[in-house]
Amino acid sequence: MAILSLIDVKKSFGITEIIRGVSLDIVEGEKHAIIGPNGAGKSTLFHLISGRYNVSAGSIHFKEQQIENKPPYEIARMGLARSFQVTNIFQRMSVFENIRCALFWSKGYGYSFWHLLGKQTELNDEAMHVLEQIGLADRAKFPSGELAYAELRALELGVAIASGSELIMLDEPVAGMSHSEAQNAVELIRKITEGKTLIMVEHDMNIVFDVADRISVLVYGEIIATDEPKNIRANSKVQEAYLGEVPSA
Amino acid sequence: MALLKKSSIWIAFLVALLGLPLLFDSILAISILNQMAIGIVFALSYNMLLGQGGMLSFGHAVYFGLGGFLSVHALMLIEYETMVFSILWIPLIGGLFGLLAGIFIGSFSTRKAGTVFAMISLGIGELIAASSLIFSSFFGGEAGISGDRTFGPTFFGFDFAQNIEIYYVAAVWAFIATLFTWLFTQTPAGRMANAVRDNPERAEFIGYSSRKVRFISFCASGMFAGIAGGLFALNYEFITEENLNAATSGRVLLMAYIGGLGYFIGPIIGAVVLTLMNSLLSNYSELWMLYLGIMFLLTVMFLPRGFAGFIMMHQVAWVRGNMKMLIKPYIITGIPALLFTACAIVLIEMSHTDDEVFHYLGLALNPASPITWIVILAIAGGAFYATKRSLIQLNDAWETANAIPKEEEA
Repeated sequence: MAILSLIDVKKSFGITEIIRGVSLDIVEGEKHAIIGPNGAGKSTLFHLISGRYNVSAGSIHFKEQQIENKPPYEIARMGLARSFQVTNIFQRMSVFENIRCALFWSKGYGYSFWHLLGKQTELNDEAMHVLEQIGLADRAKFPSGELAYAELRALELGVAIASGSELIMLDEPVAGMSHSEAQNAVELIRKITEGKTLIMVEHDMNIVFDVADRISVLVYGEIIATDEPKNIRANSKVQEAYLGEVPSA
Repeated sequence: MALLKKSSIWIAFLVALLGLPLLFDSILAISILNQMAIGIVFALSYNMLLGQGGMLSFGHAVYFGLGGFLSVHALMLIEYETMVFSILWIPLIGGLFGLLAGIFIGSFSTRKAGTVFAMISLGIGELIAASSLIFSSFFGGEAGISGDRTFGPTFFGFDFAQNIEIYYVAAVWAFIATLFTWLFTQTPAGRMANAVRDNPERAEFIGYSSRKVRFISFCASGMFAGIAGGLFALNYEFITEENLNAATSGRVLLMAYIGGLGYFIGPIIGAVVLTLMNSLLSNYSELWMLYLGIMFLLTVMFLPRGFAGFIMMHQVAWVRGNMKMLIKPYIITGIPALLFTACAIVLIEMSHTDDEVFHYLGLALNPASPITWIVILAIAGGAFYATKRSLIQLNDAWETANAIPKEEEA
């Protein structure tokens, strides 16, 4: 069953068409990777799904509800979480506060100004639990703006997954990491997305073929193939788009 | 016991607020203390916007002033016995109308933060200040409106005719307002205000409308500004257009900024320092506004985190037990720096004075003689040079005091 469906989604900026009619079904529970050359529109597609951009045409359904052109917070409340390619956290707050803020809505606090946070034991324990999962428990009180790069990326991931959303979208989660850091990050991603649906944009083909159940290839705003990794590797259109880069991985 | 420890700082604050008039009991001192209590509440409310919520407002006096005007009107209602209640509740009326004004204006001004918000706040500030002169039946025109706080029912025999009686009312309200502004920072709405300040976009992806988060802070801030306005009305028994115009908005920005935006205690320090400068310095020099401006400039340039930030800067050295390393360099730098400041002040004052003999620090100087100027300029130059030289040593001492100890490094 499709948890997320895109039906002929288009997006233009001025006269430039970036997404030129994308239709895609994401099956519940699958790990889906979106690959493609630079400028293909992968991040734009993420922004359209998560509500950062409005679509120019077409529709997007999440859990059988239309979500296109809804504000990001309404989509997030439905259980769709995402991370960003460029780290995008609350830099003047502590690591712990970042995670706790990410938990507020799903724990039902809303805009409350009558709950004292010091007394919310369950919430605070849950935040610590997330920190342990992403390996930042010893950094809890650290100002998040001063973390090392790999730690920042882990926090970025933590803020996205903290609320326990069913659909998690990760935009280049291991970009800029060293090989060993990337390996750790992949382990972490596997662990925290267990039993959930994952959509991931990633350039590192080793990781894509390692993690993904299915892969979609986006070229110039169009999906030219969606299939299992081994079929994608053999697909001639994909090979052409990548000029032989993919199969070498 | 844990509760006692947690609340000890609050008990100390309350004791300080209530105990200060016992130490300083002159008429001037009580008047200054009253202004401080008002300033603390006003500056804390401003910090809810700028420090906690990232909203730079140039029109915060609107909520202070409207709260104040409504409070004076409430005093009149009591006076004419239209409604009779204790004047103890006047700040609550100020707060209520500050909140209502916040809800109305915030409903459209909190759409965006940054420049858009700042410009709207400036526009609203000018609009309300101009309207207050036009609608003179409510605002009293340029003369403002006045009331009398002694007509209400007495409270255990106090009729609030004395300033000291009003001070205790103001102190208790200041304590309550401080406590609640602090508690607000400890709630989900308060924390999300920080999150939206840091990154409004990401806040939307964890389920929060940045606009609504800003709106809540904005309303709360308007309410506390209104409470401060109510305290002002009680203290002075009159209020004019000046209390809701841009100058008052600027003053509260200065208080919060000089005190330190990033710290809860910052605006409290700022309110105390600025009130003292405002009341004491103005007795000594007509140019006190100039000094205030210079102080603001220096704070922005050299202490961007304000006085509170300067104090907190020493946390590392304090924890490592290295404060004593800094005392000597501070004194060595401080002496020429003070001398330079003194010279700068005398030069400024001499260019301003019309007197033939200028008295300063027990000296009788002749402003008309070039020798006076040359000598003072020479001293100033020497002091400046000495300060610069000793700053290098201070820097070294600072590095050593904050350095990671050897065993920790290994």
